Amino acid sequence: MSVDLSKAGMVLATSDLSAGYDGRAIVSEIAVEASPGQVISIVGPNGSGKSTLLKSLVGVVKVLGGHVKLGDADITNMAPEEIAKLGVGYVPQIDDVFPPLSVKENLEIGGYLLARREIPARVDAVLEVFPRLKNMMTRKAGKLSGGERKMLAMGRVLMLSPSVLVLDEPTANLAPIVATQLLEEYVRGFAEHGSTVLLVEQRAKAALRISDWTYVLGGGRVVLAGAPKDLEQNPVFVESFLGGGTRPAPTK
Amino acid sequence: MSSFGFGLVTAAVLALATVGFTMQFAVTNVLNLAYGSVMINSAFVTYYLNIHGVPTWVALFGGVATGAIASWLLNQFVFTPFQRRNRPPITIVIVALGVDLVGTFGLQAIVGGSYVSFRQSPGHEYHFLGMFFSGLQLVILGIAVVVLGIIHWLLRYTRLGKAMRATSANPSLARNSGVKTKTIISTTWLISGALCGLAGTVFALNTGVFEATSAQLYIVLLLAAMFLGGPGEPYGAMFGALVIGLSTEISAAYVNPQYKEVIAFVALLGMLTFRPYGIFGSEKTL
Ligand SMILES: Nc1ncnc2c1ncn2[C@@H]1O[C@H](COP(=O)(O)OP(=O)(O)O)[C@@H](O)[C@H]1O
Ligand SMILES: [Mg+2]
Repeated sequence: MSVDLSKAGMVLATSDLSAGYDGRAIVSEIAVEASPGQVISIVGPNGSGKSTLLKSLVGVVKVLGGHVKLGDADITNMAPEEIAKLGVGYVPQIDDVFPPLSVKENLEIGGYLLARREIPARVDAVLEVFPRLKNMMTRKAGKLSGGERKMLAMGRVLMLSPSVLVLDEPTANLAPIVATQLLEEYVRGFAEHGSTVLLVEQRAKAALRISDWTYVLGGGRVVLAGAPKDLEQNPVFVESFLGGGTRPAPTK
Repeated sequence: MSSFGFGLVTAAVLALATVGFTMQFAVTNVLNLAYGSVMINSAFVTYYLNIHGVPTWVALFGGVATGAIASWLLNQFVFTPFQRRNRPPITIVIVALGVDLVGTFGLQAIVGGSYVSFRQSPGHEYHFLGMFFSGLQLVILGIAVVVLGIIHWLLRYTRLGKAMRATSANPSLARNSGVKTKTIISTTWLISGALCGLAGTVFALNTGVFEATSAQLYIVLLLAAMFLGGPGEPYGAMFGALVIGLSTEISAAYVNPQYKEVIAFVALLGMLTFRPYGIFGSEKTL
């Protein structure tokens, strides 16, 4: 990535966090930490509470206990729009764009908190990162392909130069080549630029390749955590996430 | 051909009303069945200002303000509390129906049941293309064109309008983008309420004589126009209003004018059966 899109990162951390819907906890006793310049990934089976955890960090789902901290600030149960203002960009797993709005309007909403005159330059900067969006600016977001749509969703959060990127399965439904490119080029790229990246990913192998640290969620709790190279040696992890039995070749 | 001219004016009034109605539905998720009662209450505010000496076109702003404030209050103190308690949409619909009755018959209790009319001459008679228009009707047409143009500009080109559309499409994501959706929703009630007040006043002006229950059945026309164009679609609402306005007036020229609402209702049933998202609409596409 040639363009500076994000501000220096901040630490996003939780302590003894529990969160869920209608007062019922889906995730409990969660302590995770994501630091600037790193990709921190969360993997785990479907329904283990990965999305719920991310939503509780960005104010979409209610925190029932414990704390969420951004740098020194306690952002527990802050309104989503306030958390956005503090520099956390969140790309949800689904419903990640505004379908009836054009690509351009989606980016403009991404820059909603900016002064009007700052927006065109930011849009240009985001288009430098995702040049494919350039010639579809007037197309409705609902008409984009899966890959284009994810780029728009990421482009939307980059409009505010976030310090922290919270990405929920950005590669879901993408062709493997596109998914790899998205993770290795963009997601890793954000961290290389100094941002803090918290990534939920189904593709455990691909996630490990770009992560500095990985948490494994099971039944709403962190059941395992470690550096990728250690997890790759862990037989339980290999068995459940890296496609049983066969030890993966070291990636670097 | 003269019924076509009538139909255009009816359509213009209906378009103003339907755009406000559909915006409320799109941005705030409330199918505000009390819309007709806010219209007629606003018309009466304009009327009282008018008979106390305020010129109609100035008094009109009183009606607009009434619509805006009444709608805002309605949202703040009736709809939002119910929504906050996560009541199902049907609850809100029933509550709105109740508000409509209270609004209409409350007004009737205050102003009485007799017909009134503005101190406003219909003005010159103009005719072109075989259609007749009074000066008053031309002013109503002009107001509709200008105001709908402003709404178009608001929704397409302003920060507020884009935030309204974003809130309509995906409120959660809008908040994650920094949009204070609560403020956007309040503002939407003010703007759509102003449209409601304006529509109520020009509706009463266009009708000539009116009373407290005159807008009771208007909700049928609103629903028909809204569903024809696709619920939550302001441009669809304009189109739907044109079709419903013209077809009800033209058919009223041939059959009993009393059947206006029936014709609209048949159109509504047809839409609900065959194209519930309207001619242009997908599910929700402000
Ligand atoms: N809006 C919701 N209301 C109630 N329960 C939910 C909601 N969303 C998800 N859940 C439940 O929370 C659990 C975890 O879901 P989720 O966080 O989406 O898991 P993951 O992202 O790991 O697949 C699931 O059992 C799911 O049924
Ligand atoms: Mg998920």
